[in-house]
Order: sequence, then C-alpha cells, then structure tokens
Amino acid sequence: MKLQFVHLCPQRMSLYGEYANLVMLQRMAQELGHAVEIVAGEAPDLSKAHLIYMGCGTEQAQKFALEVLRPQVDGLKGALDRGAVVLFTGNAMEVLGQSITDTQGKVWEGLGLTEFTTIETRQRTPHDVIANTPPGYSPVVGFMNKCSLTAGVSTPMFESLEMGFGNDCQRGPEGYLSGNLMATHLTGPVLVKNPALAHEVLRRVLTCAGAEVPQTLPVLPHQQEAYDVTLRELRSKGENAG
Amino acid sequence: MRRFLAIILCKLMRVVGKMLGRGSSLPGQFALKVCPDVLGRVKLPPYVIAVTGSNGKTSTVEMIAAILKAAGKNVVYNAEGSNQIEGVTTLILSQCDLRGQVRGDVLLLESDERYARHTFHWFHPTHFVITNLYRDQLTRNGHPQWVYDAILPAIHPSTTLVLNADDPLVACFAHQGNPVKWFGLEAWPGATKEHHGMYHDGAFCPACGAPMEYELYHYNHIGHYHCTQCGHHRPHPDFAVTGLDLEAGQLVLDGDTPIQLAFRSIYNVYNILAAWSACRMIGVDKHTAAGVINNYILKNGRMVRFTLGHHKGTLLTSKHENSVAYDTNLRYIRDLGTPCSVLVVVDSISRKYFTGETSWLWDIDFDLLSAPHVQRVVLSGRYVHDLALRFECSSVPQDKLVLSASIPQAVEFLEGSGDEDLYVVTCFSDRDKVLDRVELEDK
Repeated sequence: MKLQFVHLCPQRMSLYGEYANLVMLQRMAQELGHAVEIVAGEAPDLSKAHLIYMGCGTEQAQKFALEVLRPQVDGLKGALDRGAVVLFTGNAMEVLGQSITDTQGKVWEGLGLTEFTTIETRQRTPHDVIANTPPGYSPVVGFMNKCSLTAGVSTPMFESLEMGFGNDCQRGPEGYLSGNLMATHLTGPVLVKNPALAHEVLRRVLTCAGAEVPQTLPVLPHQQEAYDVTLRELRSKGENAG
Repeated sequence: MRRFLAIILCKLMRVVGKMLGRGSSLPGQFALKVCPDVLGRVKLPPYVIAVTGSNGKTSTVEMIAAILKAAGKNVVYNAEGSNQIEGVTTLILSQCDLRGQVRGDVLLLESDERYARHTFHWFHPTHFVITNLYRDQLTRNGHPQWVYDAILPAIHPSTTLVLNADDPLVACFAHQGNPVKWFGLEAWPGATKEHHGMYHDGAFCPACGAPMEYELYHYNHIGHYHCTQCGHHRPHPDFAVTGLDLEAGQLVLDGDTPIQLAFRSIYNVYNILAAWSACRMIGVDKHTAAGVINNYILKNGRMVRFTLGHHKGTLLTSKHENSVAYDTNLRYIRDLGTPCSVLVVVDSISRKYFTGETSWLWDIDFDLLSAPHVQRVVLSGRYVHDLALRFECSSVPQDKLVLSASIPQAVEFLEGSGDEDLYVVTCFSDRDKVLDRVELEDK
C-alpha cells in the first residue's frame, strides 16, 4: 500500500532535526512493505495525507508557519475527520490552540483546533524529559526546548512527567491528545528516540490507510538500545538536567 | 577601597589558584562579590577587542593576540578561554595595578555569546568581532536567533562592530546603527550554487522571514545572499579573502597579500580573515599581520597529530551539539581523497553539564563519509547506538561501520588493524579518552 506523509514547513520548522521523525516512520512503514511518499511544503495538498506532521521552529518561524497554515484549517479538520493523523511537535503544538501571546504582548490567533492557549516567556527552559505513560507502556524520553506556558489542556498526551516541565508546570501534564490530533512540546526526533511512541503513531497511520496493523511493528537496528541508554542515563544523572 | 580590596583578593587568589592548578573563574567571582561594579572602576587600555560567535572564537583570539604581539603591542587576553564575566574579571584584575590601571595596549577578550551582556554591562569593547551564529549547544542556547537576541544588549552604541558579511543573521547586527566594518570571502572554486547540508538556516530572511536567494554558498548558510523582499543582503566587505585555493592551501587577503594555510579548512580561512580585519583596524600593517598568520599553526589544540599502531592519526576537535563544526571536519576528510578511517566518539555530550540530548546528530551530514577513500568508520562511546542509528539512515555503506561502546576497545581495535590514515572526530568532552591512549606527535 502507498502511504502519504505531509511534512509542513520543513525548512522553517525543523530546528532540532525533526525531519528524522518522518524518516523513521518511513523506514518502519517500508519494513512492513508499504511505499511511502513524503510531500513537503508550506501549503501542500492535505486531502490524500495519512499523516500530517510539523516540527519545531524559532518563535519567529512559528508565527510564519501559523500564518501559512491559517488558510489550511479546513484541510486539517477534513484530514482529521477522515482519520488521518495530525502530529505537531515542539512549538508547532502551540499553533493548534486558540492563541499565542508573544513576549511583546501581541496576541496571535491560533488555528483553533483545540481549546488551549499559550503565553511565551522571556525565560527559556531547555531540559531533558522523561514522560510517564500508562502501565505497560515505555516511558517517553527526549528533550524540550521551550519558552512558553500552555494552559487549558483537558486531554494531555502525558498525564505527568518524571523529569521536565510540562504544559504549564514542573512535572505536570504534557502535550495534547484528542482522537488523532497528537501534540507534544518534546523537540527533535522524538519518534526516533522512542520506538514505542513511533509505533503508536504508525498504528494510527496504518488504520487511516486501511492497511493491516500487525501485532508486532518493526524496530530499526540500534533504536531500542539507544532508547535504553538514554533512559538509563537520564535516570542516573539527570537530577541536575534542569 | 572596595576596588582596591577586590584587586588584591583577585591577585592573591589567582596566585594560589595557579599553584593548585585551579581554573580562572573563582578569583573573579569573589572579586565581584567584594565590589560588584569593579569592572566599571578600572582604567582599560585604549583598545578593547571582544570576539564572540558560535564557532572560531578561541582560534580568532589566539591569532589576534599573536599578530598584535608581533606588532609590538602589549596584549592582555584570556588565553584560557574563560569567557564569562567571572573569568574576564579575573583576567582584568590580575593584569591591573593597585590603582586599577590595566597594563597593556590592548585588552582582548573571548566572550561567551549568551553572557556578553553581563560582561559588557560595566565597560564596552571598542571593537566587537562577531564571527558567525549557528546551531550550537542548543540544549542551553535555544536557537541562533535566541542567541542573537542575547547578544544585542551587549552592544554599546559607540562600539565598532566587525561582522561576518557572509552570515545573514550576523549581518543583522548592523541594523543597530553602530559603526560597522565587514569581512567576507569572495567567490572561489569551492563555492557552490546549491545548498549543502541537512538543514538550511539561510532559507528565510532573518530580518523579515521572506525567502532568501543565494548567488553562492561557501558552506552551510554562509555565502552571498539577498532577501527577495526586504533588501537584506550580503554587504560589500571592507576586508576580504579575494582568492582561495583550499586544495593548494593558499589564500589572498585584500587582493595583495598571499597566505599559506597550515590547516586547509574553510573555518581556518574565516578565523584568519576575522583576525586580519581586527588587527588591520587598529593599525597593524599588512606585512606584520601576514608574517604571523602565514602557515600559522594554532596552539589551542583543536587539531592534534598522533600515532596509533601503524596509523598516522589526526584528531579534529569538533563540538558536540554543533553540526557545522562536525560538517566542516567531515568535509575536510572527504576532500583529502587519501585512504583513511574515521573514529567518531560521542560519550559525554558536554563537559560542563549533563544532557542525554542527541538530536544534533541528525543535523550532521554524515553522508560526507560515504566517499570511497573512507575505508572504515568506527563509532564509539556511550551514545554509540544513537550514532549507529543515525548512520543507518545515512548513505555510508553499513559494511564499513564498526561499533564499540567502549572507547579503549575501539582504540585497541584500530591499533591492531590497518595502516591507513586515521581521523578522530569528537568533542573536547571526549577527546582525551582517545588521546590518552595514543602516542602524541608533539608532547
């Protein structure tokens, strides 16, 4: 089967190697025998996408991305309605909400796909992250490089963090998850680092495409070991990580 | 009185610290506690040159110091690279007399880009060299534009900026209205029409966000650019490399001064150019400056030659969390063309702080190592699996890869096999883990 991934604003919004998230999903899907087309652009056609992804950018780039996406809101809603996955990571998450208030006090109207609001801060709080997951699922590891507080999330992706700053408080709930609208402020190749999270996204993508969802999904060589080392290191040395 | 006490305390602690082999920050830290505004109470030399930027600070400062000394100037500078306010305070107070007069003709400072505003709160440079702004240590720096915003408050209106014309973000510092002198690299055979690298931070104008166009790229986002909308463009340089043949290791400065390169890297070209520009601005003649930088071999240990078994080895110090530094060294290896193996080590991501963040590996263009003359790529260190996963998604043939989490075992493996040249690419935080196990050429 042919899968289509749309990478929104790949140059403006791939500040921490986020492009690798799609590389990883592509490799996993290929292992299952699927062909993957990655369509990248600022205003691509969303009507055939099984996955729509946007990564993190500078605060300035995020505002450009927001304006570029504004005419595409109906396209995003339509994609969600037909079961496509919309995954936004890093500060791309913020554009999904009602508004972003920047450090000058200017209020940027968000895409309005969710109810939350974001306020940017002058302080940046970069730190390593361990996100708690339901029993039986591996904790999610990664990094967050944000300068904002997001309030009003009723359905977070992670109920709490073992390490790191959540949507608006230390170790608090993080991200947003409602249906196939998935968002987390974790930056970088979070799906590379977390095979279990990549599998969760892939399952939804395969379901959207009407493809069989195997019980066991592929893991790339070294992926599990890289995850294990990071989790071990964070737990043993990460107390001072911020 | 407080100034006097701070100076005495700093000098004493510096002497004791040196005897104990301690770093240079602590005396300044205590002096600042005794007299917080001590840096505003000392009399500085007529020239205060500061150098900041993501890459090239230490090398540029070292070359400026060497040129100025050759020109007969008495230079006070932080050779140890302690580039935050405490280290700078130690340097200044230990070099001034008890009345607070800094001895010397020139105060030369390497300045941490994020903390420059603290250092230059009490005094300001007469000349501020800004080399470049890249993705560098993003786990603490956020992103280059964030660093740009952090440097802005450090710029006093009367400071003359010495800016890299080829970096579109650095060029934005000119918008402050300061006096500016530009340095840049003119077209050369190695410049490309197409962008190379895993990401393109020059794709959009840092001033207005519109798409940018490049006439040519020197490397990454460094080149000749113009914005398609707001007019932001590469300024005409006041100081320029007007001819460059990297293969032959030759460059020409300002049209008439040939220089032989000891290290044939584009980085070295920019560091030389920045040092040349700063020194020419304060009156050093071309002959003296050229005499120093001709075949100049950096003493800061960024490049170390060694022997391991039958291998002739070179350590090319990169910086973890700095993909441009890696790309530059990988490009150097690719362009050599002679049979070699490469050892890449990622063990401790930083020597100053802990993080498990490895996103930056995905910004490095490891495809550069898919060149046929690269025979083996040995990956090692705690994060060997992150490296291996990154290489799994590169064009480097997998049968060329050798993995060893243990650095001693990786070194032992190389020692016992082959006689090709060996290049080690790693960071300050990890390089001694290799260098302690090889025979250094210059001990």
